[in-house]
Amino acid sequence: MSAQNAETEAARDDDTPAAPDRGRQRQVPTAIWWMVLPAFVLFFIFHTTPVFTGIYYSFTNFAGYGDYRFVGFSNYVNLFQDSEVFGAYRFTFLFAVVATVATNVIALAIAVGLNARIKLKTTFRAVFFMPHVLAILIVGYVFNYLFANSLPYVAQEMGVTALSSSILANPDLAWVGVVILAVWQSAAFNIILYLAGLQTVPSEVYEAAALDGTTKRQQFFRITFPLIAGFFTINMVLSLKNFLQVFDHIIALTDGGPGTATQSISVLIYRGGLQGGEYAYQTANAVIYLIVIVVLSLVQFRFLQRREASF
Amino acid sequence: MLTLRGHGPSSRRWGVGLSALALAVVPLAACGSSDEDTVTLDFFQFKPEAVGAFDTIIADFEEENPDIRVVQNHVPNADTAIRTMLVKDKTPDVLTLNGNGNFGRLAQACVFADLADLSVADSINPEAQQVAQDLGTCEDQVNGLPFANNASGVIYNTQVFEDNDLEPPQTWEELDEVVATLAETDVVPLYGTFAEPWTLLPTFNNLAGAMQPQDFWSQMRAEGEDVGPDSEASFEKDFVPIADRFNQFLSYTQDNADSRSYTDGNRAIAEGRAAMLAQGSYTLPAIRDINEEAPLGMFVMPVSDDPQDNVLVSGVDVAVAVGADTEYPDQARRFVEFLFSDEVVSQYAEAQSALSPLADAPQNDDPALEGVVPFFEDGRLTGYADHQIPAAVNLEAEVQTFALDGNEESFLSGLDEEWRKVARRTVDFSEGGQS
Repeated sequence: MSAQNAETEAARDDDTPAAPDRGRQRQVPTAIWWMVLPAFVLFFIFHTTPVFTGIYYSFTNFAGYGDYRFVGFSNYVNLFQDSEVFGAYRFTFLFAVVATVATNVIALAIAVGLNARIKLKTTFRAVFFMPHVLAILIVGYVFNYLFANSLPYVAQEMGVTALSSSILANPDLAWVGVVILAVWQSAAFNIILYLAGLQTVPSEVYEAAALDGTTKRQQFFRITFPLIAGFFTINMVLSLKNFLQVFDHIIALTDGGPGTATQSISVLIYRGGLQGGEYAYQTANAVIYLIVIVVLSLVQFRFLQRREASF
Repeated sequence: MLTLRGHGPSSRRWGVGLSALALAVVPLAACGSSDEDTVTLDFFQFKPEAVGAFDTIIADFEEENPDIRVVQNHVPNADTAIRTMLVKDKTPDVLTLNGNGNFGRLAQACVFADLADLSVADSINPEAQQVAQDLGTCEDQVNGLPFANNASGVIYNTQVFEDNDLEPPQTWEELDEVVATLAETDVVPLYGTFAEPWTLLPTFNNLAGAMQPQDFWSQMRAEGEDVGPDSEASFEKDFVPIADRFNQFLSYTQDNADSRSYTDGNRAIAEGRAAMLAQGSYTLPAIRDINEEAPLGMFVMPVSDDPQDNVLVSGVDVAVAVGADTEYPDQARRFVEFLFSDEVVSQYAEAQSALSPLADAPQNDDPALEGVVPFFEDGRLTGYADHQIPAAVNLEAEVQTFALDGNEESFLSGLDEEWRKVARRTVDFSEGGQS
C-alpha cells in the first residue's frame, strides 16, 4: 500500500512537472516567432533589401532613371581618384573625432555635476536634456543666425577682429561652428546615459574610499570612471557612429560650404547621388562608407571594452 | 517660396527632408474616371507658388472641354519626384518642369513626345525656343515648349538711382561710375549674398553668356576627360576674362557679403538699403513679398565698353512637355494648345513676373521688366551657362570658393579638374549622356 502510494507519488512527481514542460515547449517557440518575425520581415524589406539593391546599382551606371548597364568596378576605381571624396572623408573624420571627444568630456563632466547633491537637481537635469528634444534642423537655423549675425556683432563691439565676420563663411573655421552645434545638441543624450551609469555605482564603494582617505580626484579616476567604463564605451561608439553620419547639422548651418569645406560624406552622397544625377557612383561611395563605419565601430568596441573594469 | 531648381532658392534647403516625403506623395498616375466619356489627364506641375494660377487655368479649360478632366499634381522637389515617376514608367500625360539641365537630360532620354506639329509651336519666339532646344532633345524633336521665360540680370532700386541721378549702366565703365557715386552714400552699391552659393550663379551666367566663345560647350563635351590648358577649349584657357570680370564685379559688394543670405539681399533691395542685386526676374515676386511697393527695375548686366556686347541671359522658367507614351495624346495636345493661348500665357506671365515667350502676343508690361523686354523681343538672348555644366561638377561650390578667396587660377583649373573627373566616370559623356 505504502509502497504503491510511494510509487504513484513518484510517478505523479515525474508526471506533473513534465506536463507543463511539454506545453511550454510547444507554446513558447511559436510566441517568440510571432514576436520576432514581423520585426525581422520589416527589417529585411525596408533595410536589408535596399542595402542589396544599392550594392547592385553601385556596379552599374544608373542615373536614377532611364537605361543603365553594368560597368564593373569602375565606380569604385573612380572613387579613389576623386579629390572631392577624399575631401569629404577628411572633413567628416576630423569633425567626428573632435565632436566625439568634446561631447563625451563635456557630457561626463556635466553628468558628474548633476549627480552630486546640488539644489534644483531635477530642474537642471531637465534643462540639460532640452537640446535632445529639439529638432536639429530648427536648432541649426537658430545657430546659423547666431553665427552669422549675433556673434560677429558681439565680437565687433568687443574689438575682436578675428571673429567679426561669420565663422560659417570662413572655409577654415566653418567646421568649428558645426562642431559647436553638434556637441551642444548631442551632449544632452550622453548626459542621460552617464547619469544612468553613475547611479549604478554602489555608495559603499565611495564610503570605503572615504575611509581610506582618497581625494575627490582619486575617487573619480580610480573608482567612478572605471566602474562606468561600460557607459563610456557605448557613448563613444554611438557618438562616433552618429557623427560620422552627420547630415542635418550641415544642411542647416553651411549646406556643405563655403565651397566644399564642410561637405560631409552623407551630404556628398545626397548631393551627388540625388541632385547631381550620379546615383550609381555615389551609391558605390555609400557602400564603401558602410564598410568603413562597421569596421571602425568594431575596432573601437574591442579596444574600449578591453579597458573596462569587470566586477 | 520659389522652387526654381538651378536659379531659384532651390528647395534644396528645405527639400532635404521633404524629398523622402515627395516620393511618398507622388500621385499614382491618373486614376481612371468612372465616367466613360470623359478622359482624365494627369498634369504634373512643378511650381508650388503657381498651383492657384493653374487651378484657374484648368477650370477654364474644363469648361470649354467637358470631355476632359485635368488633375493637377504638385510635389516639393519636382526634379527628384519626376525621376522616381520615370523609374516606375509613370510619365504624366502633361507636365511642366523648370527648363534646367535636368530637363535636357530627361528629354535626351526620349521620355517626352515630339510637339513640333502643334500649331502653337510656331507662335513661340524662335530664340526662346532655341534656348529650350539647347538644353537637350530627343533626336531633333521639340520636346519642351517655353511657357514662361525668366530674365537674369541686375535688379535695381529705381528710387535709389533717381535720388542719386543715376541711369542704368550699359557699359562696364558706366557701371563703375554708378558704383563710385553710390560709394559716397550710405547705400550698398551691390548686395552680395554669398552664404547661399546659388545666388552667385546669375553673375556667373550673365558673364559667361555674353563672353564665352562660340561652341564652347560642345567643344568641352567633345574634349571630355582631356580638358585642360592645352585642349581645344577649357575653362583655364577661355574663361580668364570672365573670371576677371567676376572678381571685379564682386568687389562692389558690401563687407559682410560672405555671410548674407538670399532673403537678406531681397530685403536690402526692397528697403532701399542696397542699390543693386545680381538676380533674375524670378526674384521680383520675392522682393515684392517684402515690400509690395518696392520701386524695382532690371537691366542687362554690362560686360564690356560696347553696349552691343550685352545679351540677355534668359531661361525657360516653365517648360511644357507631353509624356511620350501618354494614353491620350490628342487630349493632351488640346490642353497644351489651350495653355499656349495668348490670354493664358500673358496672365501667367504677369502673375509670376515672367516674360511671355509668344512672339506676337503683348509682352508683360511689368515696369520692373522694362529694361530687359527689348532684348527679349529682339531675340538678343542666350541660355544659362550653368545648364551646360553637369550637376556633378558642383559649380556652386567652386563659384562660392572663388567668391571668397578670389583665386582665379585655382577656380579655373578646379573647374577643369572637376569636368575631367565627371567626364571620366560618365558613359557617353560627349552626348551629354548619363553617369
